[in-house]
Amino acid sequence: MKVDDLLSQAGEWLKGTGPESDVVMSSRVRLARNLHRFPFLTVAPVAERTAIESYVRERLQEVLGSRKIHYFSMARMNAIDRTLLVERHLVSREHAQGEGDRGVAVSQDESTSIMVNEEDHLRLQVLRSGLNLEEAWESIDRLDSLLEQHMSYAFHPRFGYLTACPTNVGTGLRISVMVHLPAAVFSKQMDKVLQSLARLNYTVRGLYGEGTSPIGDFYQVSNQITLGKAERDIIGELKKVIPEVLKFERSWRHKLVEDEPRRLEDKVWRAYGILKHARTITSEETIELFSALRLGVNLGMIQGIPINTLNELFIFTQPSHLQKIEKKALEAEERDIVRAEYIRKKLATSTQ
Amino acid sequence: MICEKCNKNHATVHVTEVINGVKKEAHLCEECARSTGVGIKFTFSISDILGNLMESKPGKQSERMAQLKCSECGMTYTEFKQKARLGCANDYEVFRAGLVPLLEKIHQATQHVGKTPHTADTQIKKENELVRLKRELDGLVKSESFEKAAEVRDRIRTLETELNKNPEK
Repeated sequence: MKVDDLLSQAGEWLKGTGPESDVVMSSRVRLARNLHRFPFLTVAPVAERTAIESYVRERLQEVLGSRKIHYFSMARMNAIDRTLLVERHLVSREHAQGEGDRGVAVSQDESTSIMVNEEDHLRLQVLRSGLNLEEAWESIDRLDSLLEQHMSYAFHPRFGYLTACPTNVGTGLRISVMVHLPAAVFSKQMDKVLQSLARLNYTVRGLYGEGTSPIGDFYQVSNQITLGKAERDIIGELKKVIPEVLKFERSWRHKLVEDEPRRLEDKVWRAYGILKHARTITSEETIELFSALRLGVNLGMIQGIPINTLNELFIFTQPSHLQKIEKKALEAEERDIVRAEYIRKKLATSTQ
Repeated sequence: MICEKCNKNHATVHVTEVINGVKKEAHLCEECARSTGVGIKFTFSISDILGNLMESKPGKQSERMAQLKCSECGMTYTEFKQKARLGCANDYEVFRAGLVPLLEKIHQATQHVGKTPHTADTQIKKENELVRLKRELDGLVKSESFEKAAEVRDRIRTLETELNKNPEK
């Protein structure tokens, strides 16, 4: 697999087939692990860093086989390719913009990735479509148990799995659920969601955009606590909290349909109209309009656009994807033209 | 929207984050975001405010802590406070006195009770399980699920016997 091959496929998790996918985009679990007897990357000298990368890469290839995973050496990739991996949710932005020897192992269906030499020696990640924490956890737990038979992790009886940052220590487990809350935002109810989640020790981040901007009503909810709770309990708690968020969003969707049908329809159809006909469009506007369109599709106002088409449009209209599709570097204004064209074509072929 | 910093360009980088109920927002253009370092790390996260969490009152103990240095990776406690990142596994022992209260603030706990590597000593595994079960028992008693609580209590007793500890009271 080459980076370019990613352009001819879409990640398994984008299918939009997972549970609760009208509100939940994806579930992600991540485990932070470090090798025993190696310094953390905070202080590791260049040579040590190189040694860690090749040691881990070899183990991964040996254990998982090169048919199951493909390893990308990030230090040898150009910026567009590295950003493509970020847009694909396979690596963090920090990893793409970092320095020195580092890489990522990616499974064929893009549901599993293992970052090597990010903040910790290993960052395992499993992505699932919709709300699917249990399955995501079982998958990452199996992967982790398999890997630890072939390399020894830094572990402490009191503090658990040791990480460079004390905010990850213990289980090293960070779960992130990406939710789409257009009705809560539209009805100015977001502060309530944000505050109650914060009170329960969950971090909420706005998502997407040319940065990781909070446009388009997409939010990522993650656990803050990683120590003092068993993995299953962390997951169990989130499994109780997320349905409350879903209930809240759905009740506001219902209220909008009941109380302000014209305003809602207007917002949705305008978004659809612009996306179908615009000649130049920024990524910011695209995401805002996608958000409205997604709401319209999920409420059954607009028919004939499958959710996976919308999800794929999300990913493929990001800057690096557009530049890879066009096979050249593009300035922001040029990207806006290409983006508008790409969206027009996709929406024309997927509908009537 | 216009960039808050240069007031010239179109703002394309937006950041909102809520940590412990405090909401922060920023709207910047690509250039300003990059020059302020926002482009590299545009989220405020708990790790960024770790330094503040570690602020301790000046006194004998904090003076002594400032002298600490890990013999394996060379990191000093002062350096750790600045970077909010540890240098190696051994730092968890060397800076233990400072880390325990910090972990308490971040996680409201200081004892790992989750998964253990298969290579870990069975003793450790059992001790972790014991701590986890005791916490579970507290919850069950609070929620008055006495039947389940009795089951958990039995498991605690078995584990305690295995660990050759006297059951508490």
